Amino acid sequence: MLDRLAISMRASHVLAILLLAAALCLAALGAALDDSFYLRLGTEALIFAGLALSVDLLLGYSGALSLGQALYFGIGAYVSALTLMTVPSFWLAMAAAGLATLVAATIGGLIANRVRGVYFALITFGMAQVVAKVVYNTRELGASDGMIGIPVVQIQFGPFAISAGNPVGFFLIVLAIIMGLYGLSAYLLETPFGRVLTALKANERRVPFLGYSVWRARMAVYVFAGLVAGLSGALYPVLRGFVSPELMFFATSGNAVISVILGGVGTLIGAIYGAVLLVILKSIIGSWTEHHLIVIGLLFMLCVMFLPKGLVGFSRPWIERRIVRVPSQEVTASAVSPAIAKSRSAS
Amino acid sequence: MSPIDYLQFVLAPQILNGLTLGVAVVLVALGLTIIFGMLDVINMSHGEFYAVGAYAALALGAAGIGFWFLLVLVPILMIPLGMAAERLLIRPVFDSKDRHVTTLLVTFGLGLIVEDVLKVIFGANTQRPPTPIPGATEWFGILVPNYRLFLLAVGAAIIGGVAYVVYRTRLGAMVRAAAFDRHMAASLGVPVSIVYAGTFAFGVALAGLAGVLLAPIYSVFPTMGRDFILLAFSVVIVGGMGSIWGCVFAGLLLTQVQALASLVISPIWTDPIVFGTMVVFLMVRPQGLFGRLGHA
Amino acid sequence: MKPFGILAAASALLATTALQGAAFAQSGPIKVGVVTPLSGTYTPIGQQVRWGLELAAKDINAAGGIAGRQITLIFEDEEANPAVAVQKAEKLFQVEKVDFLTGTVNSGSTLAVAQLAERNNRLAATTVSFADSITGDKCSPNMFRVNARAEQQSVALAAWLEKEKPKSKVFYLGPDYEMGRSTVAAFKTNAEKSGAQSMGEVFAPLDSKDYTQYFGQIRAARPQVVYTSVAGNDTVRLLTQLQDFGMLSNLTVVGASGTVTSQNIGAIGAAAEGFATGVGYSTQIDTPANKKFVEAFRAANKADPDLYGADSYGLLFAYKASVEKADSTDTDKVRDALRGLTWKTPQGEKTIRAGDHQAMQPMYVVRVNKGKFDIVTSVPADKAIGPDACTRF
Repeated sequence: MLDRLAISMRASHVLAILLLAAALCLAALGAALDDSFYLRLGTEALIFAGLALSVDLLLGYSGALSLGQALYFGIGAYVSALTLMTVPSFWLAMAAAGLATLVAATIGGLIANRVRGVYFALITFGMAQVVAKVVYNTRELGASDGMIGIPVVQIQFGPFAISAGNPVGFFLIVLAIIMGLYGLSAYLLETPFGRVLTALKANERRVPFLGYSVWRARMAVYVFAGLVAGLSGALYPVLRGFVSPELMFFATSGNAVISVILGGVGTLIGAIYGAVLLVILKSIIGSWTEHHLIVIGLLFMLCVMFLPKGLVGFSRPWIERRIVRVPSQEVTASAVSPAIAKSRSAS
Repeated sequence: MSPIDYLQFVLAPQILNGLTLGVAVVLVALGLTIIFGMLDVINMSHGEFYAVGAYAALALGAAGIGFWFLLVLVPILMIPLGMAAERLLIRPVFDSKDRHVTTLLVTFGLGLIVEDVLKVIFGANTQRPPTPIPGATEWFGILVPNYRLFLLAVGAAIIGGVAYVVYRTRLGAMVRAAAFDRHMAASLGVPVSIVYAGTFAFGVALAGLAGVLLAPIYSVFPTMGRDFILLAFSVVIVGGMGSIWGCVFAGLLLTQVQALASLVISPIWTDPIVFGTMVVFLMVRPQGLFGRLGHA
Repeated sequence: MKPFGILAAASALLATTALQGAAFAQSGPIKVGVVTPLSGTYTPIGQQVRWGLELAAKDINAAGGIAGRQITLIFEDEEANPAVAVQKAEKLFQVEKVDFLTGTVNSGSTLAVAQLAERNNRLAATTVSFADSITGDKCSPNMFRVNARAEQQSVALAAWLEKEKPKSKVFYLGPDYEMGRSTVAAFKTNAEKSGAQSMGEVFAPLDSKDYTQYFGQIRAARPQVVYTSVAGNDTVRLLTQLQDFGMLSNLTVVGASGTVTSQNIGAIGAAAEGFATGVGYSTQIDTPANKKFVEAFRAANKADPDLYGADSYGLLFAYKASVEKADSTDTDKVRDALRGLTWKTPQGEKTIRAGDHQAMQPMYVVRVNKGKFDIVTSVPADKAIGPDACTRF
């Protein structure tokens, strides 16, 4: 039998499949039209969607607002860049970045998880700020200029290889990785561990009575969120060929928070939709007026005040009702799968 | 460098200048800590209200209004602005489940907008009102500009005045009662909703006043609101949310730590050191040095 | 419309395309992309870049364009963030298909855009970034620089200092980041070469609120000259605080060309008096070309041009000259034409050195006098340029 949470998550999955279908259509269209800018912009949007996903894991599932998640994104990007410049291997870079963010997030988590609520927000803000300043002043890391000259790598899949410079190929790889991270997050939240988190959010004081450690659960989700941010960040230099300290600045963290709020807190898929939407918005408004902050700030405030579940929260109840009406998940899946099959064959 | 030279030219001025910076930070943090402690609201746009105050002083000063009059006029003009912000933005989300996060986000959005609006109105270039009290005083070879001496005096007066209102008057008692237990205060006849709006506006007015006072020293530009915000938040946390004396003590302490650290270690490490102090406090004594308003 | 009408219209259209067919690619407008900060801290510089380019495009278009083709400028806001700059630049290269790109301000953006230009096989130029590395160890075959780099500024300023205050005692105060440190180092080397004595140096964090904490060290060192490479709001604070502390009366303050500009001189006010810097442009340059430029710039923008505006204005004329010389907008041909190109600008004649793509130009030392930059001396282009440190091409 499906409970409330499972229904919500399943509705998120429907939206995820829709997004996947749309992304595959874009890939097919891009390949047909020989486009590279929009595909690469889409790739960037997905990379920042990974960062937003990590913010939502914290905000939506442990109620902790991180204002410095760009810290792990930046660490992932820098480690990946440094690895690629020595050994041009995509998988090695991802592994190194993953490992580095794991260590960094554990240290960060030990500091940040001593406090809750607003203190947590301020401490994460401060940590990112301090590390960004240190990077900004470290000559070995290119200091304020960042590092250029990261090669375009061949991404190996056993006997096959796809160039990171191939817009469609790399778009699909990033799509697979980000959706994989989404799937993994959703899976973890369905496990007993995830349920502890949900319980924590609902009532923090009762959880210890059930024999669960509050601190351990928080720590685990913090480190996992750091890892998600780090792996997303690791993709950035592969796409753009450079890293700069701005990737760690508050603007990056702030954009991720805006994405989550626009898309819908605690929906996971909302973070991804939000990030994509923000990139589109910035691209359109940015070409039209330089005062994009006013427009985005207004939209953001309206979302916080009137759409607490964001855009996904707006559309998800409708899907949830359909799921409840047709309780069998197979029906839902088969209703959507022809669409994917079609778009796959088109690409 | 001889020890006398070091004392006269380096150490003593460093401590004195740290003191003026300390008073500046306390002035900015004061409004923040009151809003924080009283309403339990994190006002991320506090820095932007400080900028609005500075721009108002600049514009009105250019229109021929004297500095002394501005010291009174700008805070008064800020009150309706604060009231409006509280009514339109804070009140609707005040009772949401996660008040801290929601109000933080709303005011963060407001900050973005205000910053850009200031740029649209006043342009992106840096501006600066003339120093109201020119000249400098010399004591034992230590030079202090007169305006900074004035700032120390006025700062002390403002801090004393605010502390008096909060801790010694009936109005302050109502505010503290509402902060301690809103429902109890309401049933005892405290007009909680008005007290809330008034407190928020008071905090905003203080930010505006800080803007007027500091504009001649730190100059005026659209992103100036970000200048003090990390430091001000650190001060509020170390001092204890809502505690006036905690805010003063922490403000002076952190700026002295900063001043001496930049001398002894290196200027670039001042931020990490101030932040490190904040982290240690959060770990050891999360309620801050003096505990929060209404609970002390 | 009747079928007959459509047919007639279509055949008329066909006829015109057939007539113009071959020449069509050459007759559309030439697109120049501009990624420059239009929001954030660097907005005032982006504004000058925009004004300079717009005026140049207007002048060139009024005189018949480049080889008969009009110039269209396409602006994008880069927020002084390399990550945004690269995204916007890619849009301009691939969607708008611009022929040429310029506008980046901070050196991080310029370097990142240079790499992007290489990967897209297009050309780009900066008119603002003055980090030596852009045409030095991080030079790119697809990036040009038409403004003076840090080295050129230092040479000119040090030469003036040697004459004005021989063997002076100098204290250095820079912002603590890569650019600040390298400009201080460049000036220090040049000043020491000409006999100045270094009394100490201090680096303040970027966006410092209060510079008074360094004044003790400065006073104790008893220098005659303070060199600084802070910029923007930081200069406003540094100079006005120096003035408040009564320290300007017996000090000569000199600095980088970006330290005091038309954006912040108003806010600095009297504290800027006597400040000297080595720079590639001044509104006071006494040539008919410059007078005309200043007048037109003022009329269009209600503001004086500064070095950024002037360098940006000059850039489009270099591009025009090279396209006309190459008779094409093809990357390789235009690159060849730009290398060694000599062209006229309001600042005087500039030549692009083929070895590192750095423009050589006469350098001026200007000093603030009653709120205006007066030219006090000048250094010929070949004396100021410094060695070619680019090894990539």
